[in-house]
Amino acid sequence: MNDGTGSREPTSPGRRRFLISTALSGAAPMMGRIGPAEAAETGAPPAVTPGAMPTMAISLTVNGRTHRLDLDPRKTLLDGLREEIGLTGVKKGCDHGQCGACTVLIDGRRELSCLTLAAAAEGREVVTVEGLAAADGTLHPMQQAFIDHDALQCGYCTPGQILSAIGCVQEGHAETADDIREYMSGNICRCAAYPNIVAAVADARARMEG
Amino acid sequence: MSYERPADLARALALRAEGGRVVLAGGTDLLAATRARELRGPVLDVTGVAEMQGVTLSAEGLRLGGAASWTAVARAPLPPACAGLQAAARVVGSTQIQNRGTVAGNLVNASPAADSVPPLLTLDAEVELVSLRGTRRLALGAFLLGPRRTALAADELLVAVHVPAAALAGQGAFEKLGARAHLVISIGMAAARLVVAGGRVVSAALAVGACSPVAQRLGAVEAALVGRPLAELGEALDPAAAAAALSPIDDVRADAGYRRAVAPELLRRALLACAPAPETAL
Ligand SMILES: Cc1cc2nc3c(=O)[nH]c(=O)nc-3n(C[C@H](O)[C@H](O)[C@H](O)COP(=O)(O)OP(=O)(O)OC[C@H]3O[C@@H](n4cnc5c(N)ncnc54)[C@H](O)[C@@H]3O)c2cc1C
Ligand code: FES
Ligand code: FES
Repeated sequence: MNDGTGSREPTSPGRRRFLISTALSGAAPMMGRIGPAEAAETGAPPAVTPGAMPTMAISLTVNGRTHRLDLDPRKTLLDGLREEIGLTGVKKGCDHGQCGACTVLIDGRRELSCLTLAAAAEGREVVTVEGLAAADGTLHPMQQAFIDHDALQCGYCTPGQILSAIGCVQEGHAETADDIREYMSGNICRCAAYPNIVAAVADARARMEG
Repeated sequence: MSYERPADLARALALRAEGGRVVLAGGTDLLAATRARELRGPVLDVTGVAEMQGVTLSAEGLRLGGAASWTAVARAPLPPACAGLQAAARVVGSTQIQNRGTVAGNLVNASPAADSVPPLLTLDAEVELVSLRGTRRLALGAFLLGPRRTALAADELLVAVHVPAAALAGQGAFEKLGARAHLVISIGMAAARLVVAGGRVVSAALAVGACSPVAQRLGAVEAALVGRPLAELGEALDPAAAAAALSPIDDVRADAGYRRAVAPELLRRALLACAPAPETAL
């Protein structure tokens, strides 16, 4: 699968940081998560948008933990998760619903956090890739299958692929390779790791149902 | 408050009547196009309104709640006449889009390429528009006025889509043409619903989308099919008459000439997909 293009690409500090964060968020619960209180202490200027609305207090349940946030009501769940809660496993690929990188589970269904307002997720259970591993660090069968089948190259699409794949299996849409290809079509992989992704999903389905 | 998600219709209509609020359902058109930050005003999220939930069949026909998602439509046990609508539900965007996106949002957004419109036209669908002033029902064709234009008044909500029981007869089908198999906006699409008796066509409903400013029924082409034997169905559809009824445009997805050529073929496939199996074996 590795065609070597990755090694020809200059690795900028930004890209390096991003690769590390993807690997971490994909494999282990985030350590030292920045909560809203700590974020305020860092002195980072609040994001002021022209024409910003008065903020609104909401509470979001993410990976079983409740976060109280004060948000622009127009903030997307994607930006809320990344910027306010510090869960950067959820990726912003296109911000337009077209790539699936921002997929999260909301009340067990796969949805796009870039097309969901954070306020609209109040009172629901949101799960991101950081919430999949067991407390002792044992990976979710889907995470393990992605590793076992080498179902990624750059890894940017991976958290979204994994959450979408869990939804796909739970819907009963992962019975055949054709089903998996069809029902995973909302998750684009720019590295085209598709054959290995299909193999990983099929394998994880067996482990999840077995 | 700048974001409201009322639980009942009375509250939702009162908020709507205050004016200035952006109505939000699944957000898959609104937030994809607008960028959330640029939403013009405070938000009225209708997805929690009890009276707008569900996909239900009764003696009167089929009711799609104004907050019903594409997934709810795809999964509901519906009669064969709705097979086209359900096929459309399964090809809108991706599963993630279908889980949030609603049929009502698709209608109010009024894109010429909205996938719900051709199948709902073949089902003689009506929209139920409600405001504090009262309730009115419009035929879908009268609701859709043009690209991105509908008859929805500033204080109204689309509370439900109704299919009359009489239109639940026969078999429906849907054919979508895109540049790839999934996650694609239609270049063109066709829906058909066919009622057959004694090996002949009793009635046919045909509609084409993305090939005119608003998707449309093809009345003249439908009339020419009535009484024809099923065995001749493929030839009975006149491609020239179908193309003549359309007014496609050139856009980024395809040019008008291509659309005029493919639309009759999409119709023919949808029609054949409606016919009982033995007669249509090619
Ligand atoms: C990646 C992607 C792929 C897509 N693919 C397709 C496709 O294949 N086919 C297709 O047809 N569409 C497609 N769409 C468009 C979109 O998903 C659908 O049109 C969807 O049905 C819109 O529903 P929604 O609930 O998300 O609407 P929203 O975005 O919430 O609302 C759309 C409009 O309707 C208004 N509105 C919503 N509900 C009501 C109501 N009950 N009463 C009054 N006004 C209301 C809103 O104010 C807004 O103007 C795609 C979108 C994306 C982002
Ligand atoms: S970032 Fe949400 S779908 Fe691409
Ligand atoms: S692994 Fe690079 S985008 Fe999928």
